[in-house]
Amino acid sequence: MQPNPTRFWNPYLAGAALGLVLLSSYVVMGKGLGASGASFRLGVAAVEAVAPGHVAVAPGLRGVAEDGSPLDDWLVFEVLGAALGGLVGAYTAGRLSREALRGPRVSSAARLGLALLGGVIMGFAAKLARGCTSGQALSGGALLSAGSWAFMFSVFAGGYAVAWFVRREWR
Amino acid sequence: MTLFPFEWLAGAGREVGLVVAVAIGFGFGFVLERAGFGRAQKLVAQFYGDDLTVFKVMFGAIVTAMLGAVVLSGLGLMDLRAVSDSATSATYLWPMIAGGLLLGVGFIVSGYCPGTSLVAAASGKLDGLATVGGVIAGTLLYGELLSVAPFAAFTESGALGHLYLYDLLHLPPAAVALLVALMAMGCFVGAEKLERIFGGEAAPQAAPRRLVFAGFAAAAAAGLATLALPAAAAHTPAPARLSPGALAQRVLDAPWKVRVLDVRPFASCAAARVPGAECAPPEKLKDLYLADVSPARDVVVVGEGTADPLPAEILAYRGAVLVLEGGFAAWKAYALTPVAPPAPGAGAAELESYRARAGLAAALTGVQQAPPPPPAADGAAPVKRKAGGGGCSG
Repeated sequence: MQPNPTRFWNPYLAGAALGLVLLSSYVVMGKGLGASGASFRLGVAAVEAVAPGHVAVAPGLRGVAEDGSPLDDWLVFEVLGAALGGLVGAYTAGRLSREALRGPRVSSAARLGLALLGGVIMGFAAKLARGCTSGQALSGGALLSAGSWAFMFSVFAGGYAVAWFVRREWR
Repeated sequence: MTLFPFEWLAGAGREVGLVVAVAIGFGFGFVLERAGFGRAQKLVAQFYGDDLTVFKVMFGAIVTAMLGAVVLSGLGLMDLRAVSDSATSATYLWPMIAGGLLLGVGFIVSGYCPGTSLVAAASGKLDGLATVGGVIAGTLLYGELLSVAPFAAFTESGALGHLYLYDLLHLPPAAVALLVALMAMGCFVGAEKLERIFGGEAAPQAAPRRLVFAGFAAAAAAGLATLALPAAAAHTPAPARLSPGALAQRVLDAPWKVRVLDVRPFASCAAARVPGAECAPPEKLKDLYLADVSPARDVVVVGEGTADPLPAEILAYRGAVLVLEGGFAAWKAYALTPVAPPAPGAGAAELESYRARAGLAAALTGVQQAPPPPPAADGAAPVKRKAGGGGCSG
């Protein structure tokens, strides 16, 4: 198969497909999709492995470690599946390659640093908002949760507010 | 009736549930990748105005899932509110707005959101991997910061409980779904205009858009049509009965979990009522807005006798509704009437029930009861002490 890195599904069909995945999650599991919750559980598991005593005394961390392993949760398995799905999707479309995606005016190292920094901000923000774009905006938004809609508009507002300042990273 | 037993998948069928979780996640990751969401440039283009794919995919997914959920609920195949309460978090307005703004900043800096960074990492993108690591660190940072009291207080601010747009608008969910679908389709057309202005791109193929729009319109219409189904589809089970003893226990043990409504005429209620009860004679019920208030507490209805049938205002309550068996008369006989002490040598269960009732009657009427008879001679103490003493000495 020829590598075809920029040909994607039609956005409306992709949206409908994503919506059907989400709907099946509601109907079968009674839950929505998520991502950042699993990251937190992974992090707590890592902390537990490095500093076993710490999780028990940190009020913000011990909640997910109380009944057994923090990794024993549906979200962790769902995210494992998402990584597999991403891998298969990229492989079959010829997009599986080891590289750092960046704009023409930024070095690889700077791009990786910014990616890490943005990740830290998002991890913090997702915990604060009780969910990220997947768990809060998508899953809550489709069930018409008022907080999810407030969150979703705030995400777009935050992105547009700083896009101009970081344009050198992308354009 | 629901299509799938998700209680079973979370309980006894947990292993099957986790396999289903991997399968659903696989679909999620695969579709995100195929939409182009494993590539940072595709995602951030949203914020530079020339490619609004993120917006289209996201709102397309929201509208699809929303219409699906509304139609399935309208047909009685899914309980919209039960699924919503389990699949969404309660609304905490201020931390959600602050978190959204911050997440938007993190999105444009990292080029991903937490879910898409995972897909990017899985397809070999090193920046995606760096973002995944950053997200984990960020969530841990938040967990540590919860030890700081003012921050922890902020994270709980603006608490509105489980709040949905259809509650705010006082419309049926199907009507709100139609409005959202119309708004989304209007925005999609507008988004394509913007793309042409900023990106100068040729108009994308119109056929898939027409197909998806037609699907939305059909589903929205089907959702509205289910409103016309006979209300019998949404059968209301008979409210559970509660014995006076069980009510006494709930009122004394956890009064914050129950809301006792006394529906007798106001004069009777004002004279004597269950502790903590609100006087809610029929003409006052509509002022309580039971359909709109938080369903967190269980409502217990106290009538002259067993209140049946229940007034519509109470049936509209979204939480659990229980009816006091026998009404206030039964409560009076149970809780406000002195009890005869059991005969010496009575069983442990009988003694325990006497203690509870005597304590209750004493507390509510101010009349001291006779102490229970001494334990039987064979030394079968009615209250067992834990072996080895309490937690401190043990």
